[in-house]
Amino acid sequence: MRRVLFNLMAWTIVLVTAFPLLWMVLTSIKPQFELFRMPPTFWPEQITFEHYARLLWETPFLTYMRNSLVLSFSTTVLVVAVATLGAHSLVRFRYPGRERLAQLVLFTYLLPSVVLILPLYLLMVWLGIANSLLSLVIAYTSFALPYALWLLRSFMQGIPDDLESAALVDGATRMEAFVDVILPQALPGIISTCLFTFILSWNEYLYALVLVNTDEARPLTTGVMSMLVSAFNIEWSLLMAASVMMSVPLIIIFAFLQKYLTRGFGAGGVKG
Amino acid sequence: MSAAEVTFCKVRKAFGNAVAVRELDLAIGAGEFVSLLGPSGCGKTTSLRMLAGLEFPTSGTISIGGRVVNDVAPGKRDVAMVFQSYALYPHMTVGENIAYPLKKQGMARGEREAQVKRIAAMLKLEALLDRKPRQLSGGQQQRVALGRALVRSPKVFLLDEPLSNLDAKLRAHMRAELIELHRQLGRTFVYVTHDQLEAMTMSDRIAVMEGGELRQFAPPREVYDRPANLFVASFIGTPPMNIVHGEFNGRVFRHPAITVPFQVAGAPTRVALGVRPEDVLLGAGPFRATVRVVEPTGHETIVMLEAEGAALTARAPAESHLRPGEIVPFALRADRLHLFDATTELRLEARATEEISA
Ligand SMILES: Nc1ncnc2c1ncn2[C@@H]1O[C@H](COP(=O)(O)OP(=O)(O)OP(=O)(O)O)[C@@H](O)[C@H]1O
Ligand SMILES: [Mg+2]
Repeated sequence: MRRVLFNLMAWTIVLVTAFPLLWMVLTSIKPQFELFRMPPTFWPEQITFEHYARLLWETPFLTYMRNSLVLSFSTTVLVVAVATLGAHSLVRFRYPGRERLAQLVLFTYLLPSVVLILPLYLLMVWLGIANSLLSLVIAYTSFALPYALWLLRSFMQGIPDDLESAALVDGATRMEAFVDVILPQALPGIISTCLFTFILSWNEYLYALVLVNTDEARPLTTGVMSMLVSAFNIEWSLLMAASVMMSVPLIIIFAFLQKYLTRGFGAGGVKG
Repeated sequence: MSAAEVTFCKVRKAFGNAVAVRELDLAIGAGEFVSLLGPSGCGKTTSLRMLAGLEFPTSGTISIGGRVVNDVAPGKRDVAMVFQSYALYPHMTVGENIAYPLKKQGMARGEREAQVKRIAAMLKLEALLDRKPRQLSGGQQQRVALGRALVRSPKVFLLDEPLSNLDAKLRAHMRAELIELHRQLGRTFVYVTHDQLEAMTMSDRIAVMEGGELRQFAPPREVYDRPANLFVASFIGTPPMNIVHGEFNGRVFRHPAITVPFQVAGAPTRVALGVRPEDVLLGAGPFRATVRVVEPTGHETIVMLEAEGAALTARAPAESHLRPGEIVPFALRADRLHLFDATTELRLEARATEEISA
């Protein structure tokens, strides 16, 4: 009885959460004239992919998509590379100010982005890279990295020191020990960090709005908004089609990485 | 390659203000089996980690095979270590774990597999080669850890309490296997333990440590029969040696309950008499004590006595019928008594002059 009740509740929550998504998909395949009909139709009477076609061939959507992919992948690779090495250093090496450093890193994460955005913009202009994907990679890294460092640091603290020591005695160099032993152990943490960074970069809006104002470097978030939403008109069908396509990469990545998230927690290598 | 001697020369290790090892001088011969024995926190693991290159000495030098290795990376020292925690790589199978050191040496795959097979046969791990460490029992994991060390035949083996988490039966079995292994391989073994039985049964020599300092370095028999100081005397042996504080007038040790004449040159007045429980002979003799506790263990009975404020422990035969409160006469085996300076705690080279004396 309780199970039934529990299941019922779970499904209700799923439906409530999923409804807007479903509505988004349905709207994107309804013909224009069916959109504003009163009362609204739930299932489309006629299915059309014209919005998708228009989006793909008649707008800079694909450029935005490419920008977003490049941007999110670069940020993720950069953040994860720096954060794994940095977290390892914070956990394993002893040097003055190590704890202080770790706390400072978290402190930067606490600053609201509106506070950082102007200085960052001026910095980018000064560096001569404003209005480029690179400036966004740097900006996203600046706020994804602190969190990534903390996430990975706590993961790496759970890896016994002896594992690395054993690898060193077994003839590995420091880098080899890191790659052979630490990385596989930290894999679930690394994948969580990848997901976190990727989603953050994919959905980021504010920085993209301020730092970039050419179509060549605009990511999907600001690109789609400026293209389809204006003060006079919102292109609902196109917007919904764009939203659907924007979600696809995230869904693919989740499907691909999900199994790694739960796997690989290497318990039992060290007793006690 | 063969066994190598290991030398610690004035080695000191401090973690901030805490000194873990102080002025350690230790010369271990090639092919010797040496145990580092001492209570928890006395610096055994730290010493071993310094020898492996995982910890940097604050001062002093460490050499292996005559070469100073202070600046040599762990992987280049040609030592193998079994960690107290086993430290098996969780994401690798047993076979991959054992093969890992060979892989790092750049050995070809075929040869690696042959070596792993050889070790697996020796440690009876053949059936487990494809398992992950977490699918093994504690004893199996420990054999894998040993295998990963043995596969390489390094100059020196370092073992950090490798048997501490095993049950008594498996421990006795592994003890025998390690002795046999050492005999076969003829390599230098440095074995850390706080179990004196392990140290006594396996070692050529025992290094007894306390508070980061070396207290005695001698063969097991000598550590037991001629402890160099009060710490070693009371640390080695179960039940521990009885220590009776008393006075010495140049000829006779005096305690209200016990007097023993000694022949010793230049002894201080404040001394401590050491008597092993098996050297307290109950039933007859010049001294008297009250029985406090009787503990039959099966093959013998441990008797706690009190004689004029001195607590004594005696080993008695299993069939003795002593009762608490009873007053028993006892004697001491004069040729097995130890005398220590009560202030320096060092052993005095003394011999009791009579068998048993009033
Ligand atoms: N990384 C470290 N940082 C600070 N102090 C340490 C560190 N490692 C060891 N110590 C200290 O050094 C002393 C010796 O430690 P060590 O681990 O060598 O003891 P041990 O003899 O191996 O003890 P046990 O039998 O419990 O394993 C201890 O007081 C310990 O607290
Ligand atoms: Mg230890």
